[in-house]
Amino acid sequence: MDPEQIVEEAVEYGLKLGASEVAASVTHEERKMLRFANNSITVAQSWDQTVPTVYIIFERKRAGARVENPSIEALKEVMNALKAAMDIAKPGEVEASLPKGPFRYEQVPLTYDHRIPEMTNELVDLAQETINAASSEGARRSSGMVLTSQWKRYVKTSAGAEGTDKGTNIELTIRAFVDDDSSGQGNSCATRLEDFDPKRAGAEAGKIARQAKNPVFGEEGKYTVLFGPTIMAQFLGRTADFASAYSVDLGLSFLAGKVGQTVASEKLTLVDDRRMPAGINSCSLDEEGYPTQQTTIIEKGVLKTYLHSSYSVAKYGGVLTGSAFYVGGTWGIAPVALNVIVEPGEHREEELLEKVDDGLFLTNGWYTRFQNYQTGDFSSICRDGAFRIRNGKIEQSLKGLRISDNMPRILRSITALSKKRRWVKWWEVPTPVYLPQMIVEGVGITRATK
Amino acid sequence: MCHSNTDQRLIRLTEDLVHYAVESASARGVQYAEARLHVDSGSAVTLNNGVPEPVQLAREKGIAVRVLVDGAMAFASTNDLSKTSLDKTVETAYRTAKASKRLLSKPIRLSQGKAEQAEWKTETRKSLPDLSTEEKFAILEEIEKTLQPDTVKVALPSRILVLGDNISERYFANTEGANIHGTASRISMLFLITAHEPGKGTIQRIGHRGETGGWERLDEWNLKGSVAEEAATLGRILREGKQAPREELDLVLGPEVTGIVCHESCGHPQEADRILGREAAQAGESYVRPDMLGYRVGSEAVNIVDDPTVPNSYGFYLYDEEGVRASRRTLIKAGRISGFLHNRETGAELGVGSNGAARAVSYDREPIIRMANTFMLPGEYDDAELLDDVRRGVYIKTFMEWNIDDRRYNERYVGLEAYLIEDGKVTVPVRNPVLEITTPGLYGSVDAVGKNVEFEAATCGKGEPDQGAPVWHGGPAIRLRNVRLGG
Repeated sequence: MDPEQIVEEAVEYGLKLGASEVAASVTHEERKMLRFANNSITVAQSWDQTVPTVYIIFERKRAGARVENPSIEALKEVMNALKAAMDIAKPGEVEASLPKGPFRYEQVPLTYDHRIPEMTNELVDLAQETINAASSEGARRSSGMVLTSQWKRYVKTSAGAEGTDKGTNIELTIRAFVDDDSSGQGNSCATRLEDFDPKRAGAEAGKIARQAKNPVFGEEGKYTVLFGPTIMAQFLGRTADFASAYSVDLGLSFLAGKVGQTVASEKLTLVDDRRMPAGINSCSLDEEGYPTQQTTIIEKGVLKTYLHSSYSVAKYGGVLTGSAFYVGGTWGIAPVALNVIVEPGEHREEELLEKVDDGLFLTNGWYTRFQNYQTGDFSSICRDGAFRIRNGKIEQSLKGLRISDNMPRILRSITALSKKRRWVKWWEVPTPVYLPQMIVEGVGITRATK
Repeated sequence: MCHSNTDQRLIRLTEDLVHYAVESASARGVQYAEARLHVDSGSAVTLNNGVPEPVQLAREKGIAVRVLVDGAMAFASTNDLSKTSLDKTVETAYRTAKASKRLLSKPIRLSQGKAEQAEWKTETRKSLPDLSTEEKFAILEEIEKTLQPDTVKVALPSRILVLGDNISERYFANTEGANIHGTASRISMLFLITAHEPGKGTIQRIGHRGETGGWERLDEWNLKGSVAEEAATLGRILREGKQAPREELDLVLGPEVTGIVCHESCGHPQEADRILGREAAQAGESYVRPDMLGYRVGSEAVNIVDDPTVPNSYGFYLYDEEGVRASRRTLIKAGRISGFLHNRETGAELGVGSNGAARAVSYDREPIIRMANTFMLPGEYDDAELLDDVRRGVYIKTFMEWNIDDRRYNERYVGLEAYLIEDGKVTVPVRNPVLEITTPGLYGSVDAVGKNVEFEAATCGKGEPDQGAPVWHGGPAIRLRNVRLGG
């Protein structure tokens, strides 16, 4: 069935059921992914999915559903079930209205490339190109994936908002190994082929792997750390997630109650920019039909706002940020970060390295887990190249390190950033982050003791 | 089963499409093809500090196809169940497999298959649709009532209670003649509570219960009592908790901690796809190499298995997503690596065949090697005996923060509910004891294993795109000698 017809009928049917407001969306996405390991393709994957969502408000009662079955009959069956649930459910805390439309949406420039959905054989060439680039730097084997996607979204609400949006993406991650203990990672992601560079990603992965040869166990302590973009993207992507009013509401944010307060170094400005031309997740409207915008989350260290949906504005105050998407969870539609942008610093990357007399250079990490989301106490494993820096130069490759620290303290201890920025998006960083390298003082490092 | 007659008719029609997909692939001359239909329905209700959040429903219906063409594997899926769409899906899988041949260092092979004909489902006495939304909220409200400050003796500024259920029906067929119909009903309860004590800060606890079966399983969980007890414990830790020792001592890990240890540092590193490097750029590789069967990684007391067939377990299944019958896999026996988790691809590569560990959480995910229910087998010690000859030690009952490196060698567990052990007795609570240790360091330190096995539910992440698979992990309490707490 035509997606526009599905959203049209879903809104109409919801109102017929007695809902005070209804928001419906249908996203159609076609994706292709090649995965490779040990320089050989392990699987080619492809998806063709049409996914309707519906969000229904009965005054102070709300309900939502995601229906991976693109038929109005399936959607109506679910809406009947939602209505039945609402008839006997108790009302929620606040009454929140959907944004009143109509709105004018402007397609974000440079977010669609008609060549990307056509690629099939070319994905094999891209995988080969990135593997070759890593091998030429000394990698013995490489693993990773290349992904293309094309999506189109239709949104309609009973409050008069209606619009469509579309985009393309191409992503690549490569992890190169010189030996089992010496690895490096590179990635490239873009909305257009012009901005996509598999060769650079492969070369970067291979170079880090080569530099990481012959690692020794690092020592516990407090270090000045030069963070590469890939590892810092994890921390700042999570910070943007913590700025969602949804995280705050669940008690899962160290930013709770801090709007207007200093939460980071004045060097840090963090923006969720859905309007960025060629931004990986740029889009023109959210799933409440509200136009997207550029939202400054942290400005020179001060928390300016949470990311909001209509429900969180009703509950916590503030203004809409065009951040409302159907996430399921406990809210249905909730505010989420989409394009996390870190403002650049003033240094060349080489200068940042030279500024560290005695410290570490960490290129990647994974498995960040919090002991307490409200205090921000956490640890995270260093992965791939990790190096000891002395007198502004890389001295020794290290292994077995863990960052054991507190996220607000890390944010407050950023002292310098590079001018150069890059996009990071991979398995461990699902929300794309565009960011520079940066120096953080006094980072807690621990290691296994037996 | 809880589908109506109309639903049943539709499912049968869709099963025909599964065969259509297999035949369509077969006609293209593939080496092997399989198709899998998923029909999933689920719901979740939430109380947030006593206030209802939106009711959430989820429905999925789609078909996955996998083909092996000249040694190249391809997966494709769609939720448009027209024959036109299915033809396109099969053709895409075929074409992408053909295209992949150019970058294939050696052909993928599958171990010998068996044309299984089977139908299985989880036993339910009170089926999932029989509980109304009103009744679900009433269950949560009963728990919420037990979490008031005068009852638990501590302020709980954040209380999130989520009750979920899901029915997943799958139909599998392949070119070898297998036809398998499986249905699993699951229920789960997730709670996140934050305790606060003026001047002492906050502590958070995330708890997860989950089983296959019907709502009758709730009766076993004693949610009203157990969640409140955990909340009251958080208050005691805040009020009375002392700084954790940072020294070498003996350690007793409760079943919850034993379970996460078994999952992270035994189950994951013994997944054969990780061992062979397939997940290197995502969830990582393994410190275990293919030739390490028989290699000692722990003391004689350590015996760990993974078993999908444990009745009512959260990770329960009887046939995997490649049509292989499920069975118990012994991973560590008397401290030595004794087996890996295999699918048909790794089973062929290492010459041992599949042991039924291929799982896919949805129609839009490829089957990959997963754990089901991973646990340490019981030993001979009563819980009191584990403590008896500990002069000075720490008992870590539950945890909050944990992680492990991507070769599954260097791990960390931070205790939440933990106590000092002095002269064989549990005494005062201690705050956040940190165990940071290697895998052989941990298993090699185990000198005693308790009798009483307990399980925790969890959602395990792996694969690209990511697949969150329902699992249990567990075991008895265990004692470790001479380990260093730090952090």
